[in-house]
Amino acid sequence: MKLAAYPAFTATAFQSRLAYRNQVWSGVFGELVFMFARIAIWTSVFSTVASDSVDGVTLPQMITYALLAGPVLYWDYSRLLRDVGTAVKSGDIAVYLLKPLLYPAYMLANHTGNFLFDLLTVTVPVAIIIGFTVGLVPPASLFHGLAFLPFWALSFGMLFLLTTILGLAAFWLMTADSLDWFFNSIMTLLAGGIVPLWFFPGWLAAIAGNLPFAWVSYYPAAIYIGQLDPSQALTAFIIGLVWFAVLLGVLLWLWAKARHRLIVQGG
Amino acid sequence: MAIISAQGVEKTFRQPKRQSGLAGAIRSLFSRDYTEVRAVNGISFTIQPGEAVGYLGPNGAGKSTMIKMMTGILVPTAGTLSVLGREPHSNRITNAAEIGVVFGQRSQLWWDLPVRDSFDLNRHIYDIPTPRFAENLTRLTTMLDMGGYIDRPVRQLSLGQRMRAEIAMALLHDPKILFLDEPTIGLDVVAKDVVRKFLAEVNRERGTTIILTTHDLVDIEEICPRLIMVDDGKLLFDGELKHLRSALGSRRRLKLEFGTDPGPITLKTAHLVTDEGAAKHFLLDSEQTSILDVLTELGSGHDLKDVKLEEPDIEEVIRTFYKNKVQAGVAP
Ligand SMILES: Nc1ncnc2c1ncn2[C@@H]1O[C@H](COP(=O)(O)OP(=O)(O)OP(=O)(O)O)[C@@H](O)[C@H]1O
Ligand SMILES: [Mg+2]
Repeated sequence: MKLAAYPAFTATAFQSRLAYRNQVWSGVFGELVFMFARIAIWTSVFSTVASDSVDGVTLPQMITYALLAGPVLYWDYSRLLRDVGTAVKSGDIAVYLLKPLLYPAYMLANHTGNFLFDLLTVTVPVAIIIGFTVGLVPPASLFHGLAFLPFWALSFGMLFLLTTILGLAAFWLMTADSLDWFFNSIMTLLAGGIVPLWFFPGWLAAIAGNLPFAWVSYYPAAIYIGQLDPSQALTAFIIGLVWFAVLLGVLLWLWAKARHRLIVQGG
Repeated sequence: MAIISAQGVEKTFRQPKRQSGLAGAIRSLFSRDYTEVRAVNGISFTIQPGEAVGYLGPNGAGKSTMIKMMTGILVPTAGTLSVLGREPHSNRITNAAEIGVVFGQRSQLWWDLPVRDSFDLNRHIYDIPTPRFAENLTRLTTMLDMGGYIDRPVRQLSLGQRMRAEIAMALLHDPKILFLDEPTIGLDVVAKDVVRKFLAEVNRERGTTIILTTHDLVDIEEICPRLIMVDDGKLLFDGELKHLRSALGSRRRLKLEFGTDPGPITLKTAHLVTDEGAAKHFLLDSEQTSILDVLTELGSGHDLKDVKLEEPDIEEVIRTFYKNKVQAGVAP
């Protein structure tokens, strides 16, 4: 396998997005509307309590959490889901078997290109606009700032694995669209993308905090604003890595099954 | 050493039996009823390096299925298949690096990118050394006349332009074998001609082995000295196109015109089908029989004015053949 091909796919995915650069504006606008809606919600929640913090979190911290857990970490995975789902349904996935490459690795390279494009054209501009208009807080400490980076990488990998696994499931279910809806609901709740886990009832927080979705949004954002101390952060990271390994195993296993089905039943 | 060898290759698909209507849909969720479709049924052939072989057959004959098995993306149900000395599906990646594949119905180019960028990605995928890539690119661009649109995004190309780009892309890594599944489908006469001339040249000058499926006999006439014809998964004919006629049992017609009606004539070399008196129509039973044989047998003394030998149109022959088959299938 030619490793140099994968960065080339990343560059290609990035470039393909340039062809549709008009969509950037709607992306930025959509995320801004979404952010300001959340900011309005949190502002009104905080205005109903007497102290300026809720569960030890201030409003600016909460807004920063919302930005990280939303646009930064839980970014647009649906493109990936759609790509995999369509390739499965149309049978185009066979074309990838004709080339000397590994399909999941190809998708990862592709996904990275889309991620970089969205980061530069949507996420960063939205963060800057929110930063200047509403205000964002810096990481809780140098440790939390540095720890955010590996958590961010893990979040990226986790979202990729979850989405690709779901996309490949189209092989057996043949309906990626309803899966998208289902996945989005699960993610909204369990990843802590809208409401952080510390506001959950204890039992639900305990469940959600141990499911892989929480590593997509909740843990990285919570680390950044200092909700976890170093030892908790380390434990969370290790559990996250275990989940990552498990999901990677699931993805490779599913891909092997899908490929088997493809070459035996012809799709 | 054969570059491709198939021995009794079979492929059976299991299609879940679908019942119509809602009740049927629900029932089929529980019952495991399958219909078996034998798409390829005991096919054997060997292909030598440098050959160009046309694979012909009506819809559903199993052509695409055979191409998919040879390219390693489908596993045969039975039989042995060897491509470049390997079993294709169990050596998919190694195999993929040494073959080129074009599916007329399915694009392998990157839709949003200029053609050139798709080519460049292939350079990475197949790890083509830069100088060789540059040389191949120049050669293919010139031969297929792609200079005018190589920098345009694929989605803006016409079908003919896209097909030329697909074929060029499949050849950039100098594959030993080029598989094409209906490469001329949907092309106009000019584009078909460009593609045919190009493929014939690649086969002749670069020695690339070519296997192509088609419904168009002209493709075979112009590119492939050898023809493999299949129907209903079974091999019907393997040989040169010019021998197909006799293999399908179609005979040449001979028309003899006389100045005056010579009366009844019976010959050993040809048999009479219609007698219009001064004009008589014969069928030649054997491919070996020449007009001279017939005339020698006829001898002199007749007022023979004109001799006309009619080769049946091969398209016609095949059409008749397919039609007879369908009728035979309908009759009990
Ligand atoms: N994935 C599949 N699952 C079930 N049946 C299949 C599958 N692929 C092909 N078949 C069946 O196998 C038979 C041969 O199909 P194939 O595509 O090889 O035909 P073909 O010769 O390429 O026809 P065409 O000229 O129409 O392209 C057909 O009856 C088809 O319905
Ligand atoms: Mg076909």
